Amino acid sequence: MFEKVLIANRGEIAVRIIRACKELNIRTVAVYSEADANSMHVQMADEAICIGKGPSKESYLRIDRLISAAEIADVDAIHPGYGFLSENAHFADVCESCNIRFIGPSSRAMNAMEDKQVSRALAKKAGVATPPGSEGMVESEQEALTTAKKIGYPVMIKAIAGGGGRGMRVAHNDISMIKGFHTCRSEAEKAFGNAGVYIEKFIENPHHIEFQILGDTRGNLIHLGERDCSIQRRNQKLIEESPSPLFDRKDFRDLRKKMGKAALKIAEAANYTSAGTVEFIVDDKANYYFLEMNKRIQVEHPVTEEVTGVDLVKQMILIAAGEQLRISQGDLTARGHAIECRINAEDPFDDFRPSPGRIDMYYAPGGPGVRIDSHAYAGYTIPPYYDSMISKLIVWGRDRRDAMERMSRALSEYMITGIKTTIPFEQAILQDPNFRRGVYSTNFIEQLLGGGRRELIEEKA
Amino acid sequence: MDLKDIKAIIDLMKKNSISEFELEKQEFKIRLKRGNLNGPAAYDDAPGVPQYATAAPVAALPAPVAAAAPASATSGDAEIKSPMIGTLYRSPSPEAAPYVDIGSEVGPDTVVCIIEAMKVMNEIKAETRGIITAVVAENSKPVEFGQALFKIRPL
Repeated sequence: MFEKVLIANRGEIAVRIIRACKELNIRTVAVYSEADANSMHVQMADEAICIGKGPSKESYLRIDRLISAAEIADVDAIHPGYGFLSENAHFADVCESCNIRFIGPSSRAMNAMEDKQVSRALAKKAGVATPPGSEGMVESEQEALTTAKKIGYPVMIKAIAGGGGRGMRVAHNDISMIKGFHTCRSEAEKAFGNAGVYIEKFIENPHHIEFQILGDTRGNLIHLGERDCSIQRRNQKLIEESPSPLFDRKDFRDLRKKMGKAALKIAEAANYTSAGTVEFIVDDKANYYFLEMNKRIQVEHPVTEEVTGVDLVKQMILIAAGEQLRISQGDLTARGHAIECRINAEDPFDDFRPSPGRIDMYYAPGGPGVRIDSHAYAGYTIPPYYDSMISKLIVWGRDRRDAMERMSRALSEYMITGIKTTIPFEQAILQDPNFRRGVYSTNFIEQLLGGGRRELIEEKA
Repeated sequence: MDLKDIKAIIDLMKKNSISEFELEKQEFKIRLKRGNLNGPAAYDDAPGVPQYATAAPVAALPAPVAAAAPASATSGDAEIKSPMIGTLYRSPSPEAAPYVDIGSEVGPDTVVCIIEAMKVMNEIKAETRGIITAVVAENSKPVEFGQALFKIRPL
């Protein structure tokens, strides 16, 4: 087992990893930027090394400095957390070549999924469906029409060079397809300098369902059930839960088993080890499609931990140390229901403008079934260089209704002053009738905000 | 940038308790340091709480340039801070004499010590003209980014 681990990250996930290490009797080394000198992870670790200035490019993304820090602290392994260098195959390679174990998948497994094209090919090999689409660029109007006919309307015309939701158009029939095809091409040319477009099936009311994977270095692979992450704002997850209420619907009952198997097939095809997540998109007709695989521990991992009782971060460390996975697929049972709310330092009444600054008063909720994964504390100043998430509030309940009541209770106790947070917004979501019925897709927040923003939030909060 | 602009920046620095300022434009780089710098963070802070003064834009330079003279009349001792993480060595080799000691006069390109990282010896330069007044870091010990290595009285 490792004696010392360096955490190549910051914020709440660094705190999370330090906790897992402490419980495994492993000494911890934190790295921090000058902007994070007073951060909680620095105070919790056994040792701390400053690695640069505030901007991530000058600190948390500096492979040379991370390795130097690992060297002078004489660590056995590095845990990369999520974001930053966690899915950087080169970093994984550098660690291994310096005799430092990388707590995550191998660089080979990462490269097997390095981009959309490669992962789609892998999914095809594994026999798992991906969103129907054109094989590559669509060059002519005729090709566009044939492709659309093959996939079936509605379809989405997407710019190859586009991204972040830009350069997309929906077409419901041949007429709108022809118009959309040409418009999209000229818009793409103007906006991205590349007129290339491709076509993909437009999935209405999509549900984002992901499966947690754990694999050891001896070929044992298990999945720990699903998380429903459809509550998103601008493609950023806000609320996640497990199990997914989607699988309670009549035609969806055998999906869990099918999708779990598909997730395992994908992970197997990539020779995956450590923790990872296979993401799917599910439509209202119970069709599911593989989207991508995340080769790291994810923000919302506590939801799965609460429902299965498995400590995923500890498992990552054990697996990296060469231990065999002691949990078999048959051992796993989902107990109860868990929900997570990401608390961001943003003002929901002002278009979610980021609100960095000093936390004045901080009182976290408690009581049965309440878990807080956070680096925040009273007097802490949130640096402006990093993302706005300051806390994760996770609750467990006997069932979904119980969990929702508990989440509302916990949100109402959570006191953070001095900065704005998304707490009132999440409270409003918890009260929303559609959310309560478990009927929602990734359009949920957009629809909620579409009709009468502030009044709606204030009334429900 | 003319003297008027530089004076304006210096005033803003004083007013907002900024001790270090760097600006890089095409064909032009400037770095200003106010006297009496303490600690690794380039901020004058109240105990425990870093202040992020944002009055002046700060662009980080990949390789810091020779500092302009400190503006304030009370020039205290500045610090030579570590630009990297590694193990500090005061001499080129174990038997050799240290690069510098208290009283050594240095120029911007004078090598003051070596920091070793991953078996590579990196020569660390003074980057300022002055006299070494204290040796703060220990020989053969690890140093982190921003850690004070020497105290120097700028000339």
